[in-house]
Amino acid sequence: MTYNIAMISDFFYPQPGGVESHIYQLSSKLIDRGHNVVIITHVYPGRTGIRYLTNRLKVYHLPHWVVYRSTTFPTVFSTFPMLRQIFIREQIQILHGHGSLSNLCHEGILHARTMGLHTVFTDHSLFGFSDAASIMANKLLKFSLSDVDHVVCVSHTCKENTTLRASLNPLAVSVIPNAVVASNFRPLQPHEVRLSALQGHKSGLLPPPPDPSQVLGPGDPITIIVISRLFYNKGTDLLISALPLLLRRHENLRFIIAGSGPQAIDLEQTLDSLPQQLVYTSSGQSRVVLLGSIRHEEVRDVMVRGHLLLSTSLTEAFGTVLVEAASCGLMVVATRVGGVPEVLPGNMTVFVLPEVEDVVRGVTEAVGLLTSKAVRRDRFHDLVKNMYSWSDVARRTERVYDLITGSSPAPDNEGYYDEEWTNYGQPAQTQSFALIDRLKRYFGCGIWAGKLFVIVVVVDYLIYCFLEIMYPRDKIDICKPWPAVPKNAFEAEDDGEPEGFGEAKQKRSRRKHGAPNESVDEL
Amino acid sequence: MLSIKRPSPTTVLYTVSTRTPPTNLRARASHGLLILARIIATVFVANVLLHEYRLAYPLAATWTDQIEQYTSTIWPLRALTELLTVQLTRPWRLLASAGIIWLISRKSYVTESLLVIRGLGIQTSTSSPSYLWSSSTRFIPTSSIQDMFIHEAFKGFEVRYYLSIVIEGEGDVVVVFPEILPRREILEDVWRGARACLYEPKN
Repeated sequence: MTYNIAMISDFFYPQPGGVESHIYQLSSKLIDRGHNVVIITHVYPGRTGIRYLTNRLKVYHLPHWVVYRSTTFPTVFSTFPMLRQIFIREQIQILHGHGSLSNLCHEGILHARTMGLHTVFTDHSLFGFSDAASIMANKLLKFSLSDVDHVVCVSHTCKENTTLRASLNPLAVSVIPNAVVASNFRPLQPHEVRLSALQGHKSGLLPPPPDPSQVLGPGDPITIIVISRLFYNKGTDLLISALPLLLRRHENLRFIIAGSGPQAIDLEQTLDSLPQQLVYTSSGQSRVVLLGSIRHEEVRDVMVRGHLLLSTSLTEAFGTVLVEAASCGLMVVATRVGGVPEVLPGNMTVFVLPEVEDVVRGVTEAVGLLTSKAVRRDRFHDLVKNMYSWSDVARRTERVYDLITGSSPAPDNEGYYDEEWTNYGQPAQTQSFALIDRLKRYFGCGIWAGKLFVIVVVVDYLIYCFLEIMYPRDKIDICKPWPAVPKNAFEAEDDGEPEGFGEAKQKRSRRKHGAPNESVDEL
Repeated sequence: MLSIKRPSPTTVLYTVSTRTPPTNLRARASHGLLILARIIATVFVANVLLHEYRLAYPLAATWTDQIEQYTSTIWPLRALTELLTVQLTRPWRLLASAGIIWLISRKSYVTESLLVIRGLGIQTSTSSPSYLWSSSTRFIPTSSIQDMFIHEAFKGFEVRYYLSIVIEGEGDVVVVFPEILPRREILEDVWRGARACLYEPKN
């Protein structure tokens, strides 16, 4: 069963970020599995109208007003006419929204339900329960999620959080983690070491990348990488407080801090106020390098220059950067918050409490582990490669689609779900599309909110009726499907891709083991 | 409504129009009524303007008198003219006349066309909204055409397909049939035909 899926979110490329890359990677892997996927987002500077990305991915940039941190202005109804046109012309069956702060996603889910489509929501972030902004956001989330078929969270902590915030049935919430493209995050290769040695210190202030094949002595310089946007919720304050202590305690530590944000100025001020002999080595080199904001493609090149990644985030639903760092062969020191403990196994990480003393202790412990050769950093990449892959994420997401549409799973998906799984993920009551059932669900949201939500839904339904008259369905052109691509074209591509692509790899290995003569013929 | 004219193998004219030829009785009747209404309105406006002319130049030629005498025998025309003359001042009368003329001269349909001539170029044209001035045309020589393609865009609350021509040295593409924006099937026909006609087949 192939689906026509629309991914909707305010956050998409060219803006960098975790949600953005999640949507892109998931969409392209779903396309590889034979589905049709379009992405709906709002306009970005230089990205307007309807565009195609590589891999047949179509992106609609809705002309919409952006208010805050690339979120569109909440008008509730104004996107409906355009979304309806897109849903009809692309013959969408499933709407998949991303990001609980994305207004476009919530509006899209509301309209899609009004039009009788299946909806899935993926939550990428954690929220509090106590401050005013969170209460507002949670109320809106509850509104939008009271009538959604299924919710996907990126970690179990995130699932717990979302279930509580939106009062969901936990059975209708699945956990599908993020992944990384392991081939983009390889540790430093031997030929690259030689290259960088030849070039010398061409890239300016950065310390040269360490050779992973050489073991660290007790006094050798150790470089700590920090890659984080410098916002309060990313724990920049913690970093600022811990930095002087770490510099004082360990003579051999160097820092590379990449990222920008409102707290960059605080960080710079702290560095300026420190004594000179602390910030500079005896040879006059700066021990702390601030890189500012870097592009996602450059992350790997920065990461391979270090031994350790330090993450002081105060809230983190998944922490893709940790997986990326481990994939580059870095030891990880991370605060034990949110979904972070689920992400990587204990032998790659040192978990600390979000307190200054504990961060210092954790870094000290990690430095000790590195110098005592207790960890095999060179093994990290292969381990991570086997843990996370986007094709696996796509396969699991497809299973969610199968669940909500009630269709049977794809052949390669069947094996993973035996009797144990039959009841999992089934919503307690089947989400009926009838308006009265939807109204009942919304009415239960609260004393006042429930009534307000019911009014909103009724108005939405009336607008839908009006649009059916104003822009009749038969006047809307249906998009042509992309010309079919021969199946073996993909398999050829996968050969070049070191990342574990489930189906193709299995076939290949089976071929190798089972009939060696055959494979010669085929090649 | 797409109509194709192919006078020679190297020339083709694609015309799309929102006008549907009247086929059944009802369409014909409404078409005829519309024409009748226009004629009546024209006569009325002419009468008002004539009256105006007589008021402005009382000693003018006598031919106006004859017409005046003749039209005053038609009762409704005379009544309406008198109503206008009594009720309204001169600027308002002139404004009303101008408005009616504008209404009369308006076209109720749009016709857009694409003319492709091999070795010469492409001419797009859009009919004017009024009978009073001519349609707007644009000629694009073959040498400056870089590409033709069909794409989608947001327009108002809709998502529409459009056929466009990329021109060398211009930042914007030229949209073919910009007013009507026909359906995808029509655009595909035009696109195939125009490309086949514009570029000689390779053999």
